[in-house]
Amino acid sequence: METEPDEYHDCFMQDGVLLKQAPSSHMTALNTIGTLYIYEVTRSGESCNKKLLLEWKQNDITVDSDVQYQEWAVVNTVQKRIRTLSENMPEHHNRSKSLKINFDEIKSFKVCNKNRQLTFYDGTSERICGFLFQHGNCEHLVGMLKTILKVGVSRRDKQIYVVYDSNSPEFQELNRSFAALNLKNEDNSFWHMFKHFKENPYEGSLGAFAKVTNFVYRSVEGSDPDILSRDELYSSITELDDGVPHSGGEYEVINALPQLPRRKEFPRCNPLTEEQWRSQFNSLGQLEDVDSIKNLIFRGGVSPTIRKEVWKFLLDYFPWDSTDLDRQQLINKKNEEYYVMKLQWKSISQKQEDNFSDYAQRKCQVIKDVNRTDRTLEFYAGDNNINIQTLGDILMTYVMYNFDLGYVQGMSDLLSPILWLMQDENDSFWCFVGFMEKVMSNFDIDQAGMKEQLTQLRVLLSFIDPVLANYLEKHDCGNMFFCFRWLLVWFKRELNQDDILRFWEVLWTGYPCHNFHLLVSVAILEHESEALMENDNGFTEILKYINELSGKLNMELMLNKAEGIYNQIKEADHLTDSVRSILGLPLIGTKNRGSEEQSSQQESPFESPDLSTPRTEPCCSVDNVRISPDEIAFEKSISSSFL
Amino acid sequence: MAKTYDYLFKLLLIGDSGVGKTCVLFRFSEDAFNTTFISTIGIDFKIRTIDLDGKKIKLQIWDTAGQERFRTITTAYYRGAMGIMLVYDITNEKSFENIKNWIRNIEENASADVEKMLLGNKCELEEKRQVSRERGEQLAIEYGIKFIETSAKASIRVEEAFFTLARDIKTKMEKKLKEASNPPKGGHQLRASEPQKKPTSWLSRCTLL
Ligand SMILES: Nc1nc2c(ncn2[C@@H]2O[C@H](COP(=O)(O)OP(=O)(O)O)[C@@H](O)[C@H]2O)c(=O)[nH]1
Ligand SMILES: [Mg+2]
Repeated sequence: METEPDEYHDCFMQDGVLLKQAPSSHMTALNTIGTLYIYEVTRSGESCNKKLLLEWKQNDITVDSDVQYQEWAVVNTVQKRIRTLSENMPEHHNRSKSLKINFDEIKSFKVCNKNRQLTFYDGTSERICGFLFQHGNCEHLVGMLKTILKVGVSRRDKQIYVVYDSNSPEFQELNRSFAALNLKNEDNSFWHMFKHFKENPYEGSLGAFAKVTNFVYRSVEGSDPDILSRDELYSSITELDDGVPHSGGEYEVINALPQLPRRKEFPRCNPLTEEQWRSQFNSLGQLEDVDSIKNLIFRGGVSPTIRKEVWKFLLDYFPWDSTDLDRQQLINKKNEEYYVMKLQWKSISQKQEDNFSDYAQRKCQVIKDVNRTDRTLEFYAGDNNINIQTLGDILMTYVMYNFDLGYVQGMSDLLSPILWLMQDENDSFWCFVGFMEKVMSNFDIDQAGMKEQLTQLRVLLSFIDPVLANYLEKHDCGNMFFCFRWLLVWFKRELNQDDILRFWEVLWTGYPCHNFHLLVSVAILEHESEALMENDNGFTEILKYINELSGKLNMELMLNKAEGIYNQIKEADHLTDSVRSILGLPLIGTKNRGSEEQSSQQESPFESPDLSTPRTEPCCSVDNVRISPDEIAFEKSISSSFL
Repeated sequence: MAKTYDYLFKLLLIGDSGVGKTCVLFRFSEDAFNTTFISTIGIDFKIRTIDLDGKKIKLQIWDTAGQERFRTITTAYYRGAMGIMLVYDITNEKSFENIKNWIRNIEENASADVEKMLLGNKCELEEKRQVSRERGEQLAIEYGIKFIETSAKASIRVEEAFFTLARDIKTKMEKKLKEASNPPKGGHQLRASEPQKKPTSWLSRCTLL
């Protein structure tokens, strides 16, 4: 402890922070939960001698944290609490460990793992320490750090923030004249940050920090801010994700979850009736109010009598604004198009096929799979079933329609209910094309789309049910791979035929947000969370449990819960951009101060890709140089699930 | 809760899509065959506990999707396997040719001392046979592994196949165990509870009672 520290101002605190990496002196505290503080120390009698400290304190294991920490239940309230060390604060209990970080020592820090992991480096490529934020993420802290330290985003890796050195001559110059500083274009961010700091020195309780002059800049000219090589980073990332056994599970009481708004009930409604549907068309046969139709379908699905027709709209075969005449012409045109494509492959001779292995492979897989698709339904049952033949023909024509994608297992599952309903080869094909447009990325060659979705599912789950998310993380299930089947074929293997028709038509509306099926998954996981976490279940047990839910899910209840969850998320105070972007909600730029919004747009790792491109970039191939920690974590956790 | 077995072995079924992996597994675990089977999506496993020379052995057998596309995900499971069944379809030449690729896949992804075995399935379909028994045997010899022709449908030698693989794993394991408990200090060195960062061998992950 310092000698005679007088006053401590808490500026920031966040609990539920796991110590992931630490100097050897703190090895025993690794993987334990604690609280991170930033506070300001004022030495006795010297009012100008203020110093900022970052400190992580292990939660005291003897304290019933549930009770003790309740008053701090909100993450990142910048509090102006004055206290002294002698006060009986729970975190100052003897038995707790603490780790102090001097701001002067931080040379750079890295934000990764969807803003959940923060690692400080001391410039000698030795990590000072790393933290995993179990509740929410480190966005707030990083916001604080950006104000306290002078940082710029590394040019090579946007996840790395480089702290500009103090005492450098460049800084002196900088201080003398802003204009004299020759900032490069790509260092705009730095410029903005500096400007912001000058103009807006973190008013309020942080005002004092701005005056503390122990942070200085190094000019961006000349010196390369990247102090860590890629290899070192890589090894640090992989080490991070190495499954060090977690200790102290029993007292990891989650004590300060950000509060979600109360969950509301959203009762399901009756299906869209034929009468309602017909009344929506004008004299030209155009739908008048598409939004309200979609909303009705989202709320209750479609009555079976009009399903065949409505699906053609839902699956973008018929444009929503088309007239009777348009549709008549469209059908003729599409019909012709279909049979041309079908003829293309039907006319391939055996000899050609033998010399065309890419084609032969696809055909072989289609034939194998149609013979294993929904054979228990009467429609597809029995030997030499004509509908199985049609199923195969449509899939083969799809291969010709999109040869690069070809046929991937799971597609026959997606087509089967469509053909069952339409009972028409041409209509089924074009509806299937529409469905595939919605789920195309599930079938990516490198499975990037599936990996991305599993990652997104994890993000959403940690927002809604951090206890379960945390549990899964610690039991080698963080990759969420046990939900693979759910997401690949949209619950086709989990629901019976009647339910799947209803479920899909609800999802096809695209209401109330993007990726609603992920919220449905969250709803199920949350519903089953107790069973999932029983008996210290690991990956094997959880996979088994999830696979065996097939046929036991209550679809309407799932939809109801998922909508409740959606509304909770939408109204949550701590809603982050990472969650927003998954659900297609407008991004706000999760920042402490609104004025930073503009300036940080280009460089902040928290900003998600532009929403105007509906498919966000796959998490694992952002570019070919950068290592995505998610990707590594994903592979790692899969492989470690067996160990 | 007391364990009801002495050893837990993790096995893996691999081979081209449609060769009958899921059916072989279903035959072994439920002694049934179902013509209305569905293709495997993702992964799944089945459990059967067998008696082998007085030991109860719990077999946890993993079944994967066969299509190339899903291999990035399924190969991750090779690493934990102690035994791998390589399955082809005797009525499908291509599935036999692909065994080579599957073996390469194993070499790249599984631990070096994993026990392997070659299965030629659908052997009751004699009239449609494209791969002779001899070729199967020959290939197995080449790779130094055992070979059996099976039929999930007609229930031919499926039990035998799994028992053989399990016995080979057990023998290998007990031999290593003996070696491990003999060195000067003695005592069991292979414990499931000891965290091992990069196991070179599945033996270090065996669950012992
Ligand atoms: N005649 C015959 N057919 C089989 C046998 N085993 C599996 N099948 C059929 O082969 C097809 C593929 O089987 P499946 O187990 O799903 O293959 P997997 O993709 O390797 O899991 C199915 O239609 C089965 O009915 C067998 O021993 N004999
Ligand atoms: Mg299978």
